[in-house]
Amino acid sequence: MFPLLSVIAFLPLAGAVGCALLPAERRSAARWLAASVTGAVLALATWMLVGFDVGADGMQLVERFTWVPQVGISYHMGVDGISVTMVFLSALLTFLAVLASWRVEDRAHTYFAMMLLLQVGMNGVFMALDFVLFYVFWELVLVPMYFLIAWWGGPRREYAAIKFFLYTLFGSVFMLLGILALYLHPAGGTFDMTQLAANAGAGLDARFQFWVFAAFFLGFAVKVPVFPLHTWLPDAHVEAPTAASVLLAGILLKMGTYGLIRVSLPMLPEAAASWQWFIALLAAVSIVYGAAVAFAQSDLKKLVAYSSVSHMGFVMLGIASLTPEGIDGAMAVNFSHGVVTGLLFLLVGMVYERTHTRKIADLAGLSAQVPVLAGVLAFASFASLGLPGLSGFVGEFLALLGAWRSGMWPGWVVISAVGVLLAAAYMLWMLQRTVFGKPSPVVAPIKDMNALETAIVLPLIVLTVLVGVWWDSLLRYVDPAVRSMLAAMGA
Amino acid sequence: MAPEVLLLAAGLLALFADRMPGGGRTGAWIGFTGAALSATAALWASPEATLFGGMLSWGGGSVLARVAVGAMTALFCLWLAGRGMPDERRGEAVAQAMFSACGAMLLAAANDMVTFFIAAELSTMPAYVLMGYRRRDAASLEGALKYFLLSMLTGLVTLYGLSLLFGASGTTLYDGLGLRGLGLLGTIGAVMAFAGMFAKISAAPFHFWTPDAYAGAPAASVAFVSTVPKIAGAFAMVRLADVLAPAAPELPLVFALVAAASMLLGNLAAYPQTDIRRLMAYSGIAHSGYLMLGIAAGSEGALAATVFYAAAYSLPSLAVMLVAAEEGNRLDDFAGLVTRRPVVAWSMVVWLLSLVGIPPMWGFFGKLFLFGAALDAGLGWLVVLAVLASVASAGYYFRVLHPVFLRAPEPGREPIAASVPASLALGLALAGTVGLGIVTAPLLELLGTHLP
Repeated sequence: MFPLLSVIAFLPLAGAVGCALLPAERRSAARWLAASVTGAVLALATWMLVGFDVGADGMQLVERFTWVPQVGISYHMGVDGISVTMVFLSALLTFLAVLASWRVEDRAHTYFAMMLLLQVGMNGVFMALDFVLFYVFWELVLVPMYFLIAWWGGPRREYAAIKFFLYTLFGSVFMLLGILALYLHPAGGTFDMTQLAANAGAGLDARFQFWVFAAFFLGFAVKVPVFPLHTWLPDAHVEAPTAASVLLAGILLKMGTYGLIRVSLPMLPEAAASWQWFIALLAAVSIVYGAAVAFAQSDLKKLVAYSSVSHMGFVMLGIASLTPEGIDGAMAVNFSHGVVTGLLFLLVGMVYERTHTRKIADLAGLSAQVPVLAGVLAFASFASLGLPGLSGFVGEFLALLGAWRSGMWPGWVVISAVGVLLAAAYMLWMLQRTVFGKPSPVVAPIKDMNALETAIVLPLIVLTVLVGVWWDSLLRYVDPAVRSMLAAMGA
Repeated sequence: MAPEVLLLAAGLLALFADRMPGGGRTGAWIGFTGAALSATAALWASPEATLFGGMLSWGGGSVLARVAVGAMTALFCLWLAGRGMPDERRGEAVAQAMFSACGAMLLAAANDMVTFFIAAELSTMPAYVLMGYRRRDAASLEGALKYFLLSMLTGLVTLYGLSLLFGASGTTLYDGLGLRGLGLLGTIGAVMAFAGMFAKISAAPFHFWTPDAYAGAPAASVAFVSTVPKIAGAFAMVRLADVLAPAAPELPLVFALVAAASMLLGNLAAYPQTDIRRLMAYSGIAHSGYLMLGIAAGSEGALAATVFYAAAYSLPSLAVMLVAAEEGNRLDDFAGLVTRRPVVAWSMVVWLLSLVGIPPMWGFFGKLFLFGAALDAGLGWLVVLAVLASVASAGYYFRVLHPVFLRAPEPGREPIAASVPASLALGLALAGTVGLGIVTAPLLELLGTHLP
């Protein structure tokens, strides 16, 4: 059998080695290599998505070999409906991020090697079914992202890069403790994630579950990020180069929520129930806090970054609901936020490249000068604020619906719904100040999007509309997997 | 005994390197050959053996400890063949390293308090010479003298402790230690014996000599002295603790406190350092803390994981110090290393992240097994401290990487001349740090014991 998942995970590694070995002066060779490798990965991921059997239960395309037999670590990969969409998203965004980096000249071969190395970790984390393998991929993203920020980032890049690294490492070592605790418990006793999920916490007493859940939660919550662990995010986003921002928001944040859905809920169902109100609280606070802070931003990129904190709050709310609708919604926000925020960061990057400023006050009249770019920006903002018919609406609606039906305190839903209003307000206000009006001095001389840039944003626009209009295009993958997971949890 | 004999013979031969064609370089190659053969012999030696009426015995993790000692000595000699010691002859350095490694291997086999002490001294004595190797350099001599005096003192504390243990049990063989219980006298003896060993592996609160001694010594000497004898020291402590801990129930608490103190102190004190030798000295103190965590846990799996970790920690440490020996001791000397020597610069990332415990490097698996074993033994609070300390350690390892990647080279700085053997040594260290992480199963096979 063709090891499709391993190829998707490790083809970028080969590409990264290739880029690193290319002589430094052959920049265009490095970017063509990176584009063809990520393009091939995208083709394979699409093939995987098309060939995926949506009706079937359990993991598909499973590959499994013994790795360290003495302690039962295996190389175990597989995908279900939840992960298959994330792998596709990762493949798509990385390909587009490479294209968006076409004009990177500074140490280009290292840059593209780092992008490809990052993709190894991102793809792998969504396919790993062995905890040690999962942790390996999880940590693998840290190093390339550190260098992408620290070498190609903005003025405060060194501070932002190390802050990102230390925050996430702090979270993930606790996740490692959780992994070890499950492995060492007689009722756990394995690193096999499918087996632990099938076990659904049987034999793990409530107190043990509570603390292990706490350890995992710390690891995932830093990554999401949830208030009050989010402070690394604005720094990292503002300093990171455009492509790194796209991947950071589009994929890296999703690793946290994916972890909650893949690990915390199915393996520790009792604790998930007792942590429910706390997750909902943090979700509601993140939604409102992120939106309120986004309001106050004068920097376009920071606004998008804080809007991420708010949107990821909806994912957390959906997860906290522990209902099929809510978790479907969480996955839909995951996907949609990846596409839409990726698009927003690309657009901010295009604006910055042209005007050398991200200050909202300096940008005005984009629609008069660059109608296409302004139009796409308006489109992305509408998608982001959750306009029905675009992808952002699907997830937020389902997450709120799930939270309402879950029997939690309805106040969380009410508070979170305020966040939707706030999102509309800050996004529209931003549009009003940047898109409309007379072109400001920095906007006046700039040119509209070129063919490559149009080609980069087009797939994201199509996906936004597709998922927004035809919900089932996404939910047909996610929903069966979510329902079978909840059934196994006994919820 | 073949591995030890090979080391001894190669060391004696290297002493006469000046009379041979090629001089010190030939001596280094002799050392490399001897150590490499010794490591191979250790690999093939039967895992269970006893000699001299039980004074020496091999078992458990001794295969891994001996192979690690031999292989890393070989790497060190290979590097010496390329670079030598600055301004000094290298034949004697090779010989000292071989004698020290021989002592380290014997220490790993010690099953008797007298052998234990003699082997420990044999592994340390040549280290004094290596630390003071630049005989015209006052700082080097000061460092060596501090090391010598403190090491002597702590050696004698160990010896006194051992004598009390002998008094309490009536035998020097490990097999008979603590069979009748140790009593107060024996417990005091055990604590004293371990206190000396804490100083040898530079665990807090007996660590004070380390930063000063390292900061005076040539970086190449630090590379050897801070790693190879430490593997054996850790293994010897594992064996002694295995015998004594059942008879003296207070000991695990002592180990746990030493572990906590070392992890905290080492990781925090490393931050303000600007000299890579001092920084790695504190990093070494922190890693001794992790080793003590395993010894405190005390289960069979934990002790095996301790040996595994000692090897996993030592290899990248050795490599980083060898790079420092090439580039300079100040962190500023690393400025712009990535433009001068990109491969070495990226290797530094691998080594330092292995020390943090980032997968898929070897150090990660070391920490995984070690923390797992300690958690299993109920030392949850200490493990939480250990993972927090690991996160803190990333901060100062990145202080080393910062000039390497983010600073321009100092003006007028020329790249150092290429050297094939030295590059080969660093390349092997890189391959080991990555490869032994990904292919860790055979290594565990070598360890012979079951992990948790």
